Amino acid sequence: MKIAIIDYGASNLQSVFNALKKIGQTYAVVRKPEELTRFEKVIVPGVGAAGSTMKNLIDSGFAAKIVNLKKPTLWICIGMQILSQFSEENETKCLSVIPGRVKKFSRVLKVPQIGWNKVSFKKTSPLLKNIPDNQFFYFVNSYYLDAPPKYVLATALYGIAFPALVQKGNFYGVQFHPEKSGDSGLQLLRNFCELC
Amino acid sequence: MLIIPAIDIINGECARLTRGDFATKKIYSKNPLAVARQFEKAGADMVHIVDLDGAKLGRPINKKLILKIRNQIKIPLQVGGGIRTVEDAESYLNAGVDRIVIGTQAARDLDFIKKLLSTFGRERIVIGVDIKNGVLAIDGWTKTAQKKYTVFAKELRALGVSEIVCTDIRRDGTLTEPNFTLLEQLQSYGFNVVASGGVSDTAAIEKLSKLKLFGAIIGKALYEKKISLAQAKRSAELSNLTKRIIPCLDVKNGRVVKGVNFKDLKDAGDPVELGKKYSEEGADELVFLDITASKEKRKTVADMVKRIAQNIFIPFTVGGGIRSVREMRILLGNGADKISINTAAVLNPSLIKEGSTAFGAQCIVVAIDAQKINGEYMVLIRGGSEVTKLDVVTWAKTVEKLGAGEILLTSMDRDGTKKGFDIEFLNIVNKAVNIPIIAPSMGNEL
Repeated sequence: MKIAIIDYGASNLQSVFNALKKIGQTYAVVRKPEELTRFEKVIVPGVGAAGSTMKNLIDSGFAAKIVNLKKPTLWICIGMQILSQFSEENETKCLSVIPGRVKKFSRVLKVPQIGWNKVSFKKTSPLLKNIPDNQFFYFVNSYYLDAPPKYVLATALYGIAFPALVQKGNFYGVQFHPEKSGDSGLQLLRNFCELC
Repeated sequence: MLIIPAIDIINGECARLTRGDFATKKIYSKNPLAVARQFEKAGADMVHIVDLDGAKLGRPINKKLILKIRNQIKIPLQVGGGIRTVEDAESYLNAGVDRIVIGTQAARDLDFIKKLLSTFGRERIVIGVDIKNGVLAIDGWTKTAQKKYTVFAKELRALGVSEIVCTDIRRDGTLTEPNFTLLEQLQSYGFNVVASGGVSDTAAIEKLSKLKLFGAIIGKALYEKKISLAQAKRSAELSNLTKRIIPCLDVKNGRVVKGVNFKDLKDAGDPVELGKKYSEEGADELVFLDITASKEKRKTVADMVKRIAQNIFIPFTVGGGIRSVREMRILLGNGADKISINTAAVLNPSLIKEGSTAFGAQCIVVAIDAQKINGEYMVLIRGGSEVTKLDVVTWAKTVEKLGAGEILLTSMDRDGTKKGFDIEFLNIVNKAVNIPIIAPSMGNEL
């Protein structure tokens, strides 16, 4: 089995299963941290708030384990945000994989941001292979990860230019939902499974 | 892009000139400090202060007043006018002025600029590139230096200057529009460019923001109330989020149906096939509203959701007769992204809160069917067959407060016929809430 999808009791996993099935990947749901060793790669899907996500990850024992993983990991949406040190959402201490804070979008625009936003590449990465620059991806978020530029692979604009994709070593974060972003999203998941 | 309101001071008062001509002077306030405070309160990113007497006479004249302003407001301050010596520069910068603007002296003495850059750092030294008919203007714009601005720009770049304010004097104080070509050209040298002159409406600000300029100075347009600072800020904070195209499909017994009202229904195909077709044609999301009334309803909807999720990789909403968090959980578990509730939300508003708490606001869409009755839009329930006592704006605000992530707003006649809204009303609802509004009768998002 190749891809582990972490089920920490908070997120909607079905969309991620469907997308992986569509691109012909083998996967399994993992509910215990010790099972992670059997897999080549790990996906942390995400729908939810920072506070409950972190609590679930800590209570299930995943938090302590996943930050030390050496295999490629993909963190989606709230998953990407909890890679930070701290989230203003529920004043949550996060995993501190990537320096930076999670901040709320300005109320000048409608919050949450819901819809297809343009993603502009800042760096090259195997994760972005065969995806044209300035493609649209599907976002649902009220908060964004304010990360140092050296970790930012791509940005999108919502009031400010915010990180849409980050990477630090084997940790890849996507703020949008690749499993809901049509063909470009499926390509990104394929790249993670095959190239990262 | 930073929005930077300007305060020009003549003889201690807040004035504006047209094209830099002192004969056109118009006084807007006797109290520049109060004006600065207003700008700060309205959300200015920085304030730009020019000592116009100083610019004309070649030494700071209104410095005391400017430093008083510095001490009374917290946002960054940029000051220009008559700064010709290192001592003048130092007296402002050491007193807490964030950036100083050097115009005349920069055009005359590049060594002076070099010294300032090395002493204070390049982010605090802003060069005023003031252009009149292609050449540099100096001494409060009363004279021109015999130097083309392109030559000057290259010299500044070579010195390591990064910050410039560019004013096209022919447009300053004229409420026309900025010289976009000139600004882009200067930006191409690698400067952080602040635009000044002719920034008078939201269209200009949006355009400057798209050019990724560093900032825009707004003067007369604010004082003449052609634009408010809040509007300017909004126009500068652009997003590339698209307006979504969201087809809504009515489904009965697992088939998409089309009809003038709910009685005369025609079969229009398989929801998955139709959804796929819409997705390929560029739909951003899909909404499936199930209008089946049979006992098997729940199972057929759950099966449909599963098939959609396995075949279509864009977000979709499902609704129609969902009354509990338990039902929501099953449909979300089968792969739906959002749940739409309508009648159940009106009869039991706490369902919105329960759903939002359990799954997040982004999962909960409240559908509102509206009908104009005696000039007011009222909320309808039960497929448009029953009028409630709720008006649409109040209900929209309530559902937002209860945790709805979006509103699906439909205009209906009593018999269930969907029709177009008047756009003015849609805008009223859109302004009343801070969550997205989807108006299927308009074909997409507001």
